[in-house]
Amino acid sequence: MSLLVKLIFIISFISFTPIPNLYALADAQTGNDSLAIDMQTATVHHPLPDPLIVIPFVILLLMIATGPVFYKHFWEHHYPKVAIILGLITVLYYLFVLRDSHSLLHTLTEYLSFIAILSSLFVASGGILIKVNKKATPLLNIGILLFGALISNVIGTTGASMLLIRPYIKVNQDRISAYHIIFFIFIVSNIGGSLTPIGDPPLFLGFLRGVPFFWVIGAVWFIWLPALVLLLLIFYFIDSRNKTQGVESKVYSGKIEFKGLKNLVYLAIILISVFLDPSIFSWVPNLYPLPFGIREIIMFAVVFIAYKLADKEVLKANEFDFEPIKEVAYLFVGIFATMIPALQLISNQARMMGEKLNEGIFYWATGILSAFLDNAPTYLNFLSASMGKYGLDVKNSAHVMQFTYNYGSYLTAISVAAVFFGATTYIGNGPNFMVKAISERAGISMPSFFVYLIKYAVPILLPIFILVWLVFFS
Amino acid sequence: MFEKNLKGLHYGNRLILPFHCIFLKVVINREIITDFSSTSKFLNLVEGTDYTDLYFREYENIKETLSEYESIKMVIVEKNKDVFDFKNHIKLAVYLEEKHKLRIEKTDDDILFIE
Repeated sequence: MSLLVKLIFIISFISFTPIPNLYALADAQTGNDSLAIDMQTATVHHPLPDPLIVIPFVILLLMIATGPVFYKHFWEHHYPKVAIILGLITVLYYLFVLRDSHSLLHTLTEYLSFIAILSSLFVASGGILIKVNKKATPLLNIGILLFGALISNVIGTTGASMLLIRPYIKVNQDRISAYHIIFFIFIVSNIGGSLTPIGDPPLFLGFLRGVPFFWVIGAVWFIWLPALVLLLLIFYFIDSRNKTQGVESKVYSGKIEFKGLKNLVYLAIILISVFLDPSIFSWVPNLYPLPFGIREIIMFAVVFIAYKLADKEVLKANEFDFEPIKEVAYLFVGIFATMIPALQLISNQARMMGEKLNEGIFYWATGILSAFLDNAPTYLNFLSASMGKYGLDVKNSAHVMQFTYNYGSYLTAISVAAVFFGATTYIGNGPNFMVKAISERAGISMPSFFVYLIKYAVPILLPIFILVWLVFFS
Repeated sequence: MFEKNLKGLHYGNRLILPFHCIFLKVVINREIITDFSSTSKFLNLVEGTDYTDLYFREYENIKETLSEYESIKMVIVEKNKDVFDFKNHIKLAVYLEEKHKLRIEKTDDDILFIE
């Protein structure tokens, strides 16, 4: 992890080092949150990047997709270096060619926020052990998946995934197959969390910009529900055909046991800290120019305290290891850095074509990019572009609210697409990778990036996405 | 034999297990190993007089790759038992301790390990 910390330190240091900047943002002094908002309009103030600088991003995506399949040994040993080197190419380009340190600082702020919530939920839920002593049936599995979909709106898709993946595997241990895990990723790690801003990071960013907290559930539930029911029905059909029997003599007590419940307090602290943002409560101190806020400090403190004070028996039973979060941290530092130019170019293109773009186009564009980029910045860029159509500014929370109520169908399309399509690939959403890693460590062979995409995501998710588009956004 | 915890040794990428057995599956980190042939690129098995050496070819030092709470998991069958009877399949968790010691336990109900 030390290499990663060093990189973050270097980016922070360079970003705060005064560099002559002809395009300095007038409102750069307004704090972390404004910095994140400014990122959306960076294309207005800074020269656009050369399209060729998207190459490191493309290389990184290709390597994430092909590394574990074609050059596994190299990839396992060197993926941190690959992610950091490719990220550094983009960082150096922005610093010394574009002389745009602000975009880097915005991205660093968003990255730290992303990794703070992911790692704190990972550690806090890793200290909880749920033992379900019941016989696995398709109906029980549907119950677990449905429960996961619901609680992902309360503790986030990451928290719900980490909490439930182990008992879910354990219950199914005599009949487990890759499709069990893949449907778990579809439902609990992604689509389930569409109803509240806590559910998935893009919705949370929208909330920070001014989208009312309960607007999301009102605007999305009637899309969420049929999509979820369809997925559960498909799962039930597949799982009912799984005739693998467990040990017949095995006696099930029917009990559900919990250990490490004190970690629920940590989860509550994380959830409360989510709202500790100067843009929500003015009394929350603004730590600008530091690339993090009080919220991130609390979350990283929870990582430390929750790990140090955790029940060792629970950690042993969960085989707790930082490797899954370390992998996400390294890969996403590369993804966040290299995708800056891609997002700026896309945002600019969307603004130029604003008049021609309808809800359907925003749905597909946000969705496809969310599948391969991080869905949070993708959401914000398309929110910015769609608001631009009506002369509204994403930096202005009153404008965001006006847009939400007057042109809510655009926001619904972008919100649904950002969350739903995150299930399409392993890199579409943070928890996808973690669930895959935990499953593999439990001895379950998981499909490669391409097999996941072609054998599962395209045939199962794409028809649902098309249906959603036809019914709600076409 | 496995009702009590057993002790073994580890040096670099080598585990020394104090028994002979038939290996069915070994999981280390995210690597699921089922190829135990002499040409396996992941694992080399060598039987001594009353012990078995496992060399993990992909690693220089296994201990560096496992956290305090992680184990190497394996499904084995004792040599004189019927390999085709699932009741004879034994799941083991191997913990790497200080001073090159190994602790070998039958996995309890809490450990997540799929055969």
